[in-house]
Amino acid sequence: MSTPTLKSSTTTASRRTQSARPERDKPKRQQSLAERLIVPLFLAPTVIGMAIFTIIPILGSILLAFFRWDIISAPEFVGFDNFTSIVNDPTISVSFLNTILFVVVAVTLQLGIALALAVMIQGRMPGWLRVFFRSAFFFPLILSAASVSIFMGYLFNEQFGVVNWMLSLIGIPAVPWLTTPGGAAAVVVLVYVWQNFGFSFLLFIGGLASIPKEVHEASSLDGATGWKQFINVTLPLLSPTVLVASVMAMINALQVFDQPYVLTRGGPGDSTRTAVMVIFESAFQQLEFGRASAIGLVLMALIMAITALQFRLSRKFVFYQ
Amino acid sequence: MASEQPPGSDQHSVAQTFSLKNKSLAKAGDLSRRTLLGALGVGAVGATLGAWPRLTGADIPGRNSSALNVAILGTSADAAARQALVDEFTSLHPDIPVRIQAIQGADWRDFFSKILTMVAAGDPPDVVYVATEGAQLFAEKLAEPLDAYLTQDAADVQDYFDDVHPSLIEAFMYQGSLYQLPLDWNAANMYLNTSALERAGLERPADNWTNQDFTSMMRAMKQSTEGSFTPYYWTNRLFGGVVPWLYANDTSFLTETKATGGNWFWDRFYADDPTKNQRSGGYQWLEPNAEDPRVIETFDYLRELVAEGLGVRPEGGGGNALVGLFASSRIGATPAGGYWVQGLHEAGMGADEFDVQFFPSWRTQRHQFGAAGYAIMRTAKDKDAAWEWVKFCASKPAMELAFPTPNTTPTRRSMVNQQLYSTTGPEHWKTFYDTLDKFPTSGPIPAPPQQAAVETALMKNVSTAVSGSSAQVRSAMGTLQRDLELALRSNA
Repeated sequence: MSTPTLKSSTTTASRRTQSARPERDKPKRQQSLAERLIVPLFLAPTVIGMAIFTIIPILGSILLAFFRWDIISAPEFVGFDNFTSIVNDPTISVSFLNTILFVVVAVTLQLGIALALAVMIQGRMPGWLRVFFRSAFFFPLILSAASVSIFMGYLFNEQFGVVNWMLSLIGIPAVPWLTTPGGAAAVVVLVYVWQNFGFSFLLFIGGLASIPKEVHEASSLDGATGWKQFINVTLPLLSPTVLVASVMAMINALQVFDQPYVLTRGGPGDSTRTAVMVIFESAFQQLEFGRASAIGLVLMALIMAITALQFRLSRKFVFYQ
Repeated sequence: MASEQPPGSDQHSVAQTFSLKNKSLAKAGDLSRRTLLGALGVGAVGATLGAWPRLTGADIPGRNSSALNVAILGTSADAAARQALVDEFTSLHPDIPVRIQAIQGADWRDFFSKILTMVAAGDPPDVVYVATEGAQLFAEKLAEPLDAYLTQDAADVQDYFDDVHPSLIEAFMYQGSLYQLPLDWNAANMYLNTSALERAGLERPADNWTNQDFTSMMRAMKQSTEGSFTPYYWTNRLFGGVVPWLYANDTSFLTETKATGGNWFWDRFYADDPTKNQRSGGYQWLEPNAEDPRVIETFDYLRELVAEGLGVRPEGGGGNALVGLFASSRIGATPAGGYWVQGLHEAGMGADEFDVQFFPSWRTQRHQFGAAGYAIMRTAKDKDAAWEWVKFCASKPAMELAFPTPNTTPTRRSMVNQQLYSTTGPEHWKTFYDTLDKFPTSGPIPAPPQQAAVETALMKNVSTAVSGSSAQVRSAMGTLQRDLELALRSNA
């Protein structure tokens, strides 16, 4: 009888020892082929998709930037010529400068308008009206940018546009919106912001809804109301959303194409020509696919640098609860 | 009996049942998971097989098809409008199926970009309808010369050349070879709004009117009309923008020269033409000429028109709104060709409510024109079949099918007749073809193979030049010169 008891206690001790072993020391159970394949299989669609539509094109663009290629003839290796041509072409530098100016103005307006409207909508308001405004502000985003730009081109036409007609009713002479550098830039920014602020607006609505009511109530008891409460309480708590919204808005604005292309074709002069327009013109109009790739890489580097800078600055300004 | 069982036994029974159900469910779950995975696998394979034509691009219209793919600028309605032409061709050549592929574009430049994208995608059309703007790009990179076919079928096409002005043909010569047979064309003539003329107490000007006469007419129109009215409307593009004024002032923003060669063609098809010896192997635009004093003078003239409120600041694009503005008498004059007649008619303008005159003279009265015709792609599956299509489309019956209304000017002189303009006007429709006869040095749109880059450079500097001071014109021409140098060095 004692032997079985001993055996039993030995077995128990052995089990305890085994259970006390770290997880990593456990002998691994042989996985079946199906078990080993299941993870790669689930990852495969995403990985393949990323490889085909993102990674390979990026690698292809990097490679292409060192060639001269017009689609029709065989590519010719030109070293860094495409990059030096970027430096020597004043149109490209102007287009990058335009893009940066556009980003500063458009993103500021986009975020400012979206935030102001989101705060207003979150205030006292009947539910149906809130739903109406939310839908109305988001609606432009689902429209085609090209269609909107064609339509806006008619509205801002100097001779027969509705905008100038309305201005004429109050005695203001016709404004050459699309044929002067300042007017064209203003219209491009206006159309872009009108169409895109809805996305930032939705982000801010979500961000504002996630701020606990108690925080506002407590700050009210401490005497912070209105603008003071917004600056000292709401904005700091909303700062993570502001960071996300600004990063997304900036990346989007750096790639602006549709509005200036349809409204002004980059003119008058180069006043509304943007970096992506120059990429398009280089590739599909001038058949300089290598140069277009080189400009694309420079733009990608710029986007990455600005995004990194935003995240770096966010350490100082973003408050996480 | 069940009611007599103790509660425990009943519970036991339920537990057993539940356990059994669980087991059966588990079993069913195991089975269904396998089945599901199997079904997913089969589904994935099925979907892949089903989508195989899409994944490989085999379902792209025209790909792997034996039909002759003909690409045109336009909508599916434009393609449908050519069905009669296709039917007639098919009746003559039942062994050559034809498929018209309408490709939409804001302008010719946009259309050519899309054709190039099709080439890059490995799916080029066999035949493309190409306008002067892209003639040299196609000749340089994409199109097949027609020389051998023309020599082979000289007797068949002689009738076409007998009916078409040699200036139109010369526009499609490139380095001594002919690449297209132009089917329609338009000169930059001057359209006049009759009611604006009447309000100003003016009549249609004389054939040899000058740019100063033009300025006086615009002033008179402006003074006689109140409200939203612009005497002169012009667009910023290669056709009908600044170039007709440059040609009239005997200059251009690119230096125009002519290639040698082409004698084989002129001697064979235009042997009796009095201008034969002036003809060449095609136009060449190899150097920028934006800082030429006459170019600056021309831009300054247009700048003054804008500054005085006689002309609009030109916008880019195809001037889509222009027909409506002209038809509603909010514009006095604009440069356009015969393609405008049908549009004005459909916009409600009566035959006597508008008229057309030659472009004003300056140092010369050389006109600008543009034309278009089919080009056979070097990659065409069956070039002989493509040539049959090109040859057929240049025949008079085919052109009558293709151009039943005056929405362009047919290149065949015999088709530009009273009958074509009987319901639409204008009264002086003869102006259209007379442009070539009276001014045989009239030239095509200056469009080298780098046309897209050249047009971009021109458009952006035109708008700057005409919007400021006289000094700004010189500065803008300096920039245009630099931009053109870069453009002419580019790939295309």
